[in-house]
Amino acid sequence: MSKGKGTVEDVVPVQFPAQSSPDVKTWLVSRKELISWLDRISSGQILIAPTDISGILQYHRVMDSSEIVFDFIRPKLSLKEVIFPPTELLFKIHRNGLELNLEETHPLGKTAVFGVRPCDARGMKHLDAVFLTKGAEDSSYSKRRENTILIGLGCKQTGPYCFCTSVGGRLDDASDMDIMVNETETGYLVQEISEKGHSLVLEDSWKKSNPYLQKNISIGEFPVPDKEKWPTHFRDEFWARIGERCLSCRACAYVCPTCRCFVIRDEKSAPNEFERIRCWDSCMGENYRRVAGGHKPRDKKGERQRNRFFCKFYYFPEQYNLGDTSACTGCGRCIEICPVGVDVTEVLTELESIV
Amino acid sequence: MTFEPKIVAFLCTWCSYTGADSAGVARLKSPANIRAIRVPCSGRVSPELVMRTFDQGADGVLVLGCHIGECHYDTGNHRAAKRLPILHSLMQYVGLELERFHLDWVSASEGERYSRITTEFVRSVRELGPITWRIAPEYVLTKNQNLESPQLLPYLETDCAGKTDAIRSKAKELLTSGKVDCVIGYEMGPRGRTRPSFAYSEKDADRLVWNPDVTNNLTGYIPFKFKRSPMGLQEPRKPVAVIVKPCDCKAVNVQLAENHYKREQLYIIGVTCDGVRDKADGIQERCISCVERVPKVYDTLIGEAPILVESSTQPRQDKIETLLPKERLEFWLSQFDRCIRCYACRQACPLCNCPTCLYERDDSIWVGLGIGLNEKRTFHLGRAYHHAGRCIGCNECERACPMEIPLSLLNQKLAGEIEKMFGFRAGETIAPSPILTVLSGEYQEGK
Repeated sequence: MSKGKGTVEDVVPVQFPAQSSPDVKTWLVSRKELISWLDRISSGQILIAPTDISGILQYHRVMDSSEIVFDFIRPKLSLKEVIFPPTELLFKIHRNGLELNLEETHPLGKTAVFGVRPCDARGMKHLDAVFLTKGAEDSSYSKRRENTILIGLGCKQTGPYCFCTSVGGRLDDASDMDIMVNETETGYLVQEISEKGHSLVLEDSWKKSNPYLQKNISIGEFPVPDKEKWPTHFRDEFWARIGERCLSCRACAYVCPTCRCFVIRDEKSAPNEFERIRCWDSCMGENYRRVAGGHKPRDKKGERQRNRFFCKFYYFPEQYNLGDTSACTGCGRCIEICPVGVDVTEVLTELESIV
Repeated sequence: MTFEPKIVAFLCTWCSYTGADSAGVARLKSPANIRAIRVPCSGRVSPELVMRTFDQGADGVLVLGCHIGECHYDTGNHRAAKRLPILHSLMQYVGLELERFHLDWVSASEGERYSRITTEFVRSVRELGPITWRIAPEYVLTKNQNLESPQLLPYLETDCAGKTDAIRSKAKELLTSGKVDCVIGYEMGPRGRTRPSFAYSEKDADRLVWNPDVTNNLTGYIPFKFKRSPMGLQEPRKPVAVIVKPCDCKAVNVQLAENHYKREQLYIIGVTCDGVRDKADGIQERCISCVERVPKVYDTLIGEAPILVESSTQPRQDKIETLLPKERLEFWLSQFDRCIRCYACRQACPLCNCPTCLYERDDSIWVGLGIGLNEKRTFHLGRAYHHAGRCIGCNECERACPMEIPLSLLNQKLAGEIEKMFGFRAGETIAPSPILTVLSGEYQEGK
């Protein structure tokens, strides 16, 4: 396995079941065809794609393909913003005398998200596990998810903070997408990955192509300690050192593709009308774990840092068993925006050396 | 049907409410648009209350109190006279029309004056039309509201190696002599980024550095050191040493003024500063207009006083001041729209240290929990207001923001207003914000 950041060491046909199999429908389209396809999608349903919002790249609704940015590393916020929005109205409560009526909210219509990076789609897979499985289906999330089709865009380049291959990801990973697009020298290879994706592809006008050849690139070489090794280090003083620098600012959790804690509150919106809203929250906040009476089990910053890493690398894999190493997708957003330089890759490296 | 504005008037029990009463008794005409809310004193009308009123849809807000010198509580109206004009300038900065808020004085016998003021106020608000402050969910933001970054000055090389050596030796001296428990400084992180460092031993002290990227304000860690300790570490009993740049040490003055700790508990290693490097290899914008190169308070000073490059330009601020109210509203809405309410700005600020933030309380009625546009704007305006006369301009809030919102502009605006109104600049001496204290005879005529 070759090392190096974003360099194509070798291109070999690797036997992965989904992407490179001849059974997967693959087409070669030109840039013009891709753009007109996206325009067609945006006219029929909601199209979300990476676009510039006052200088920041985000997954946001676009009215046509001219607003889409094609050359980028990854948007500032993850796909989580689309499927699990920062604020969501769950339902309204109307009071008529002694009677209470609930008014449901209806999700947005059919939505296609273009330009999804493999790390973000992988994050989606983890959110799906939490919100849709184990007999506790979140109806709001589920309705939104059902109506969403993911059109992935493989990475041509990586950023200085990316390390997805260290946690089992790939720059062109299509396993969590519905349709996958990879740019090559001769055009864009579009692949139908799932049944959901089938509804959007234009079989007739596109030129069929040979299967996609996966690239064997590895970026970053950060060790991820096996989940069994984590419990023994629960009480290490190591966590206090990591936590000391932390500001409990919560930015890491908010930009993370897999962090999913939330808070729910009923608020009065009009006379005799309440709204039940759900908002993002984070275990890194000082008051997150405060209980009635004022006690805070995770009062200290080191404890909260420890919780965040354990949640990603031990609790989640232990509880959900998705077959991958962790709930971290290696996107590197947390490293990029941390104001005080807390670095997940540094924590993993140090922990591995202690072990 | 012509537009009739909804005006909320806060009337103080002792003077203006009674004044309104006497207007009624004398059968003087007053507009019916006024919804009166009786408060004990005009000083009770807090900025949060006024913002909440606008958030809930009032077209105009009127605050009437006793004349200065006649307050039933002596200096309650002094409070209103100091705080509300500051809020007014902040809201105007963010796009609210000037005429929608008014503070005035009406005594119990001045029914005619009450009638005149209210009629005039309602007339001017009626002319403005319905208010566009509260944003409906369907509102479509104007795109491309970027504020250009100004031309940066190039960063100039300075003697970082010399300062690094001096810092390390000082830190080691303090730690080995037992004078301090911990030295808070800067170190190099694994990806070549400079970050805060906590040295407890000589070995730790060897990691301390000084370089062009020492941007963090380390004073934010000090109150924390004296209240609680991170898991597993011993509660520090000895003083703590901290490395400060000239801007940072102003925060120490404000923290001392607000009694977070005693001066003896801190050993300040002041370092002279030529400015901190920006991502694009220039000097950070805040350093360009900084006039301090030597810390105001220190126990040890490291470095030579550099030659000052004088520049008081604030190009981003100037650009916003040229915009019309509607344009300003649009600009700030597009900035706050990006906000994800992560509170990184609040956590990064060395002076934001309420045990429970007003905007995060479970019982908070000042702003909803949601991460919607109205809530986010109120949070940022409220937070900026809470720093009026306290913010020392380290810009950690803006730097920490993951969505790159130009928060420092709000703080700069208020710092300018405070200086105009009180001749006061935060952090120069150990003194609290002038709008937090009420001293008789401090009122200045006119808004």
